[in-house]
Amino acid sequence: MKPAPTLSSAFLQPAGNALPGPLLRLREQRGTALVDMPLPTRKTENWKYSSKHLKLSDELATNLPAGSATTSAAEDGYRVVFRNGVIDPQASRLPQVDGLTVQRFADLSDDEASALAERLDNTLDANATQMARLNTARFEDGLLITLKPDAVLAEPLFVVHEVTATASGSAFPRIYVDAGRHSQLTLVEEYLSSGDQPVMVDTVTEFMVADGAQVTSIRLTAEDQNVQHIGATGVRQQRSSRFESHCVGFGGPLRRHDLQLRLEGEGAECKLNGVVVTQDKQHYDNHTCIDHIAANCNSEETYRNIAADESHAVFNGRIHIHQDAQKSNADMNNKNLLLSTGAEIDTKPELEIYADDVKCAHGATIGQLDEQSLFYLVSRGISRREANVLLTMAFINELVTQIPVEQVRDSANERLNRFFDDTFEEA
Amino acid sequence: MLSIKNLHASVEGKEILKGINLEIKAGEVHAIMGPNGSGKSTLSQVLAGNEAFEVTEGEVTLNGENLLELETEERAREGIFLAFQYPVEIPGVSNLQFLRTAVNAMRTHRGEPEMNAAEFMKLAKEVSKQVDLDPAFLKRGVNEGFSGGEKKRNEILQALLLQPKLAILDETDSGLDIDALKVVSDGVNALRAEDRAILMVTHYQRLLNHIVPDYVHVLAGGRIIKSGGRELALELEERGYGWLGIKEDEAAAAN
Repeated sequence: MKPAPTLSSAFLQPAGNALPGPLLRLREQRGTALVDMPLPTRKTENWKYSSKHLKLSDELATNLPAGSATTSAAEDGYRVVFRNGVIDPQASRLPQVDGLTVQRFADLSDDEASALAERLDNTLDANATQMARLNTARFEDGLLITLKPDAVLAEPLFVVHEVTATASGSAFPRIYVDAGRHSQLTLVEEYLSSGDQPVMVDTVTEFMVADGAQVTSIRLTAEDQNVQHIGATGVRQQRSSRFESHCVGFGGPLRRHDLQLRLEGEGAECKLNGVVVTQDKQHYDNHTCIDHIAANCNSEETYRNIAADESHAVFNGRIHIHQDAQKSNADMNNKNLLLSTGAEIDTKPELEIYADDVKCAHGATIGQLDEQSLFYLVSRGISRREANVLLTMAFINELVTQIPVEQVRDSANERLNRFFDDTFEEA
Repeated sequence: MLSIKNLHASVEGKEILKGINLEIKAGEVHAIMGPNGSGKSTLSQVLAGNEAFEVTEGEVTLNGENLLELETEERAREGIFLAFQYPVEIPGVSNLQFLRTAVNAMRTHRGEPEMNAAEFMKLAKEVSKQVDLDPAFLKRGVNEGFSGGEKKRNEILQALLLQPKLAILDETDSGLDIDALKVVSDGVNALRAEDRAILMVTHYQRLLNHIVPDYVHVLAGGRIIKSGGRELALELEERGYGWLGIKEDEAAAAN
């Protein structure tokens, strides 16, 4: 039998030593643990549809050079800019709010770094997210957001991840959010790129959500077609906390997002919305996993995929209700729209229930635009293109309008319009 | 205005219309009556351009232009309007957005500037009142969760907004109580104009008490077997379709 391919050792040479000692040591440990890491294949269950799109050639092994700094920060709104995985302080504009600290990993004291090193990766299942471990072995920089109890950031904090693909290589941005008791935060992550060389973004964001805290995570994935994007988001929620996630993703050669939540305190609630749009030969794979560990927790998950041309979208939603998680209420819904006969969507709900007093619902559908509805619209003089756009938008509008930050809604709508221009011909 | 000559149409290979001939002039109101399965709805769908139906023979012209060569949306822009027997529910598209898109498509076609959201809102509210539809329905999804009567009123609302040359009303009276029937009929009567024609398709004569037709045609087995004036409808009401040698059950079974 042919041995399974393993991660090239070129990927285990970390770059940049600007981090405090404890983080450098953690990075080295993770690197050592990844020697001979088998790469996912078709037979790796959670990479079944995506392994063939994962291209880890040696030219991607080097960290992309830190991009050139911009001259001025945006004039309004709070933002942190990662360029090729490294924070650009000049382009960033930080909030000054009592109880909120936003720090670069490089600026942490040894004590702070040591505390962080012990907590990094703790929100993610190591087996399911090896690419997240690769991030820990390779990050050059990172963002630590700490909210003290009761601290409230009323405006959203934008984190813009830009990669400049003028040469091949990878970026490993990293974010850790520690939201104290009853604190509130909305974090927007935007993934963008320029340049046309093959690059990989391997990104990890973790949220620790303490008792009564309310965190909203918004994620827009919209890099160009030369960018492989592999992302993981890990969340641990304590008593009566609330976590909301709004993901909008546009396809690429490989887009993968693992979203893992652990509802560890009673009365925790989460709401996960996702919209994925793919065209041409793009590939997008969402894997979500919600662990109901404590009793009386609610989870509500709604994902919509739209696939055009010969693209391929994957949704795998797992809900795991542990034995003690009585009175859990879990609702998962995934609807899919195929816009061409060459497109493919694979959806798999996975429910594992070990408690006996729970409410758990799931539903998945795959369909095309409804002919009757199309006829109704065009019979009123509306063009076929416009009718297609109206019906396609109708499929996701509910989720787009729920995104609580207008700027992200606008940006999503603008990209959706480009998708409609490509997909639906003018009559 | 509308001229139908020897129209044959089939669905899934089965012939439903077997040679329809009909002339409608501007300003006229025609009623087509017939038992279930006679081809009434097929005729309206074919005129509106539903591609599920295949025209196998014959011709249809609207003001001299070959209608059958036009796409559905082009027919609408040339002035054909079909009030559906079963209006489609489209959750996620607001009624207001749908109506405005339709009105602006027509305006663009006529070379008129588009209406902005505020202008259109004002117009839509006025017309809503005319058909006794709460303006709150403008914000809901198209026909989403509307009762049967609300859906029919929404159809007439569209006709009033789009101001067609030929309005085809497919079983617009079905499912309406007497009050709703009155509202809908008032809406249709408001459409009556010298430069506009109305074609009503109905099983029962009761709608014709409210919208008085100039001509009545009886459709059976895919053909018009009798034409006359208003009195023909009354006669049908009195004597039933059997009077014309049509057995309702057989007509339905045949299709």
